[in-house]
Parts: sequence; C-alpha cells; structure tokens
Amino acid sequence: MLVIQNLQARVEEKEILRGISLTVNAGEVHAIMGPNGSGKSTLASILAGKQDYEVTGGSVEFAGEDLLELDPEERAAAGLFLAFQYPIEIPGVTNTYFLRAALNNVRKARGEAELTMTEFMKHIRSKVEMMELDPSLLSRSVNEGFSGGEKKRNEIFQMAVLEPKLCVLDETDSGLDIDALKIVANGVNHLRGEGRGIIVVTHYQRLLDYIVPDFVHVLMEGRIVKSGGKELAHELEAKGYSFIEEELAAAR
Amino acid sequence: MTTDLKAKADAFTEIFDSAHAVLNTLADGRFADVRERGIHKFREYGVPTHRDEEFKYLNLRHLNESAFKIAYGATVSRGDLSHPIVGTDAITLAFVNGQYAPELSSADTLPDGVYVGPFDELPFEVDQAFEKQFGRVANLVSKLGTTNDERFTYLNQAFFADIAVVFVPENVIVERPIHILNVSTANLGAFVAAPRAFAYFSANSQAKLIESFIGLTGDYLNVPVTEVVLESGAIVEHVRVQDETLAATHIGTQAVHQDASSSYTAFNVNFGGQVYRNDLNVWLNGSGTETRLDGVNVGTADQVMDNHTRIDHAFPHCNSFEVYKSVLRDQAQGIFNGKIFVYEDAQKTDAKQTNQALLLSATAQMNSKPQLEIFADDVKCTHGATIGQLQKDALFYLQARGIPKAQAESLLVYAFANDVLARISNEAVRQALETRLFDKLEVA
Ligand SMILES: Nc1ncnc2c1ncn2[C@@H]1O[C@H](COP(=O)(O)OP(=O)(O)O)[C@@H](O)[C@H]1O
Ligand SMILES: [Mg+2]
Repeated sequence: MLVIQNLQARVEEKEILRGISLTVNAGEVHAIMGPNGSGKSTLASILAGKQDYEVTGGSVEFAGEDLLELDPEERAAAGLFLAFQYPIEIPGVTNTYFLRAALNNVRKARGEAELTMTEFMKHIRSKVEMMELDPSLLSRSVNEGFSGGEKKRNEIFQMAVLEPKLCVLDETDSGLDIDALKIVANGVNHLRGEGRGIIVVTHYQRLLDYIVPDFVHVLMEGRIVKSGGKELAHELEAKGYSFIEEELAAAR
Repeated sequence: MTTDLKAKADAFTEIFDSAHAVLNTLADGRFADVRERGIHKFREYGVPTHRDEEFKYLNLRHLNESAFKIAYGATVSRGDLSHPIVGTDAITLAFVNGQYAPELSSADTLPDGVYVGPFDELPFEVDQAFEKQFGRVANLVSKLGTTNDERFTYLNQAFFADIAVVFVPENVIVERPIHILNVSTANLGAFVAAPRAFAYFSANSQAKLIESFIGLTGDYLNVPVTEVVLESGAIVEHVRVQDETLAATHIGTQAVHQDASSSYTAFNVNFGGQVYRNDLNVWLNGSGTETRLDGVNVGTADQVMDNHTRIDHAFPHCNSFEVYKSVLRDQAQGIFNGKIFVYEDAQKTDAKQTNQALLLSATAQMNSKPQLEIFADDVKCTHGATIGQLQKDALFYLQARGIPKAQAESLLVYAFANDVLARISNEAVRQALETRLFDKLEVA
C-alpha cells in the first residue's frame, strides 16, 4: 500500500531525513519511535504533502501512485490521513461545516454521492459517541478553544468519519491522560483491520499497550536504525534510546 | 492656490444655488438657514486633498471633475430591489436618492409612542427630542484632539432633502428591526444626494436599527449623515450596510451620543462603492456605558474603503470594544483610523481596538492608524493591528482533509470576515449579510 524508498528531505540547508525506507501493507500497524527531533513529524508531514520540506531524493508510492506528485487534497482523496501532532485552530469555520466539506470531497473522489446535512449528521452520530466528544464541539469553530485532549480526540474522530486507507498518527498520545488515551486507542482500533494501514508515530511506548503494533521502527537522526516486532517497544521503554546508540556505535 | 480651493467649492456652490430653492420648499422652509450655514461651512474647506490630515490616504480629486446634479425625482420599483438585506422582515422606511419613498416603505402598526417616518408633522414628544438634538450630535464639540474634520457633514447639511426620523419612547422594547433603506439610482445622470437620519432612543428603550445604502445604477455622490441618541439605559444594535454601485462615492457621518449605562453596538458592513468613507463618532456622555464597534470591509477591483472611528471617553467606567476587519483583493485599498480619546476624568476606562486586514493579492494595500490619546491614569487601553495573508497552516490543514485549495482559501477568507457578522443578533439580518458576503467573495 505504501512503499517509501530511500527518502531524503531537508528544510532550508538542514538535512532532516537521510534515507528512509519503509513498506506498509494493508492490515498492518507500524509504530515509528524515536527521540525528539529525530524527524518523525517531518516524515509524517511529507507524506501528507506539507510544502515546507524539500524532498532531495527517494520515492514514495501510495496505492500505486507517486504520492509526492499529488497535492495534499489529492492525497486525502486517495485515502491518506494525517492526525496532526498540533491540530490547527480555524476560527469562524464550524467543525461540522468543515468535516462535511472534507467528507464530501473525499466521497466525490471515491465516486460516492455527497451527503446532505441530515445524512451527514446520521453518519457521524456513532463516531461522536465512540470518541466521547461533547456534541457542542461540533458547532464550535474547528479546534478553537478546545483542550489538548479534545483536539486529539477530534483528530481521531475526523479519521473515523473519513475512513481513510492509510492512517498516520503523529504523537496523538502526547498530552493525554490515561482515560483520553484509551478513548483514542479504541477509536484507532476500530479502524484497524482488513484493507487499512496504520502508522503510529510516538515518543513513548505507553500508547502501544493499547494499539499493539505489528512492527516497530526506531527513527534516529533521520534514519530508521532498527526495526522489530512489538517487543522492541518494550525494550526501548526499559533501556531508553541510548541502548540503540550504543549498539550502533559497537557495530561501527 | 486660493483660486484652486475656490474652484473646488464652487462646483458645489453652483449645485447649491440651483437647488436650494426647491429644497427649501420642504418642511415649510424650516431648514433654510441650516442649509445656508452648511454650504457656507463647506466652502471654507472645499474638497479635501492629501494635505488634509484626515484625508491623507483618500484621493477625492474626482469630486472636482464630476458634473453632479442635485438628486431629484428618481423612482424605483420593488422589483428592482434584489439585495438580500431588503428581504429581511423589518419596519421599513425607504428613501430613493435621499427622497422619501412611501411606495418602498412598510405600513406597520407600531408600539405606542414609537415613530418611524419621514420628518413631517412630528408628534409632540418626538418634535421635542428632534428640536433638542438635531444637528448637535453630528457636529462634535469635543475638548480633545485636533478638531474633527466635518466638511462632508456640512455638505450634507447643505443638501439634505427628507429626514428619516426614528423615535422610541422610554421603556419600550421594539422587537422587529427598524430599517432605514436608502436606494440610489443614477439612471437620470450623475447626482449628489444627502440622506439624513435622526434616531432617538429614550431611556431604557431597546431597538435594532438597520441602515442600508443600496446602489442600483451609475455614478453618484452620497454624503449621508446619521445621528443616533441613546438616553440612559437604552440598548441599541445598529447595522449599517453600505453596498453602493462600484462607480459611486459614499462619504458618510455616523454620530452617536450615549448617555449613562446605555449600550450601543454597531456593525458597519461594506461591500460597495468605488470610494467609501465613513466617520463613526461616538460621544460617551455618562458613566457605565458599553460600546461595541465592529466592521467588515470586502474590497475588490480598485475599490477604496476608508473607516474612521472616534470614541470620546469623557466619563469614568465606560467600556469600548472595537474590531474592524478588511478583506482586500486585486488593487483594493483599505484605510483605518481609530481614535480613542480618554479624558482626564474618565478613570476605569476599558478600551480595546483591533484592526485586521487580509490581503489576497500583492497589489492590495492597507493603511492602518490607531490613535489613542489618554489623559487619565487608571485605565486599560489596548490596540492591535495585523495585516497579513492567509494562514498557511490552516490552509494546509483543510487541504490535508481533502478540501481543494481554492475552496479552502475562500472558506478561510469567509471565516475571517464572517467572524464579525456572526455576532449580529437578528438571525435574518445576519443571514442576509452572510449571503451577500458569500456572493461577493465568490465562495465555491
Ligand atoms: N519547518 C522547519 N524549519 C526548520 N527546522 C525544522 C522544521 N521542521 C523540522 N525542523 C527540524 O528538523 C528536525 C526534526 O524535526 P521533527 O520532524 O519535528 O522531529 P520529531 O517529530 O521527531 O520530534 C528538528 O531538528 C527540527 O528542529
Ligand atoms: Mg514531532
């Protein structure tokens, strides 16, 4: 579904991604872990189509298409979803208006009929409940004045509504208390399964107790330096990132 | 130089000479002297140039070259009025080119003592209020600041024909909005019109006032003056909609007096005009008042939109809150000047002013000048101005959710401007203006 090959990118003169290769197949959950500043958000943002980064090498193929050639909205239409580490506040645009516009654009791309407001409200009802969103948030401006936890739950709520093929979650766990974490994990697990790929970017192992990954990759200084199964996350939790640094140093 | 200035005023003197005889047949000649004084005062100043401080950025040279006649005799039928604001339910008092238009006005049964009509035989109580305040609100007698530049108020005084009069007695709440509808049509040639309105809200009354300026055809000069008086405890929401033709020049004065504990909220919404200017002056005449001045300007092509606001905080414990927003596209130009004067006695004043502009092209421009002059020491006064482009992060967020770039852009622009309209309390009025905003921004 997603094939990243030797991806390199920089901002201005700064090299951030130094050759990343990663393949995600339908039905798989991959966790990407790494210390702050290692390039996790950069990778996630490049996948979603953010313009700030210059891709200097490598390729990304998504559902048979050259992803890097697509505009952000075309990527969303093709089924890619990024849950932002820092969701953006948009004063003056209500959550419902925004999400219906998003859904209808995505549906149009899939060749499905657009939903009327009534149909839309019906479509989202169970998802509002699943994410335990206060219904009043729907008529408020997008993310404006939401608490940190509400913003993150709103991201996963949007994901549940848009039903993407590939979900990329950028530190969705940061700043969440344990109850909110469980709600978020439950939302993600609902989407897990046949035909869908999930990439969970996180700094801590905690979220992975609830969203159990099939693969874990360690990203350091713009490279995937180690990959393994879910036990790698536990090892990192127990020993910290330094043990990998030591391993790498020994190997050199 | 002197001949130059004289020539400028002379164009309007000629119009005056040809028109005042007719104008003075109105209201039994009651305003003949007022008009004489008006033209006399205007002649002292003439058409402003960029050397005049209050008109520094506003180019009005074209007023010297245009051949305006005094507005007279135009008619408009209901079918010509498609503007969404015209369709909102309201007690409507209509004028065409400054002349009373009963055929476009509504016939309503009004609450006891409420008067909404042209200046005519006024009921006793209304006449008293009129006599006491007419002309006094428009001309600011202030202690602070450079003298107010009131030349166009004088021009109105020289040329006004009929007067829209609104009066609400003590303790009366008028639920339906009161709409003063000013329609302009230059199908009989270029003209100058001077719509005049006088709205008086007695103690503890409540009302919603809509004032609209709707242009249908052609090139004209509109110099309206509106005087608004709020006695103590009155609560008024005033929506002023300017949607003149794209060839018209609109130079307005909106003058407000607020007595103690009154609350005045103004929404100035501007879509039209080749050149638009409005001076909104609020005189706070007692303690404990609330004032909220909000504005939205949407300029495209080579429109010029100039808002001057002035609040005189002359008494303690008064709040004023002001947000003006502009969306400027193409070669449009925006001007904002916000004066706040806090007098020595006006302790515990809380005044906040914000001016924001969104420039959607490299050739659009905005000149913003806050002017706070504070002579009391225990006050809270802040101002902020931002001039910028669309927020890239927000645009990316919308696109990343599947919303195409063009749609995302217009959505953000709409949201920016609509943020102000969303506060209008009457739903029908709000929706009418949102519809117009949608239309003007060509939101996909
Ligand atoms: N827009 C940007 N401009 C400049 N530097 C950036 C930008 N985005 C990321 N960086 C830098 O790139 C590195 C990786 O950042 P990021 O991808 O956010 O890391 P992570 O998400 O793993 O914490 C950091 O050193 C960060 O400062
Ligand atoms: Mg990050």
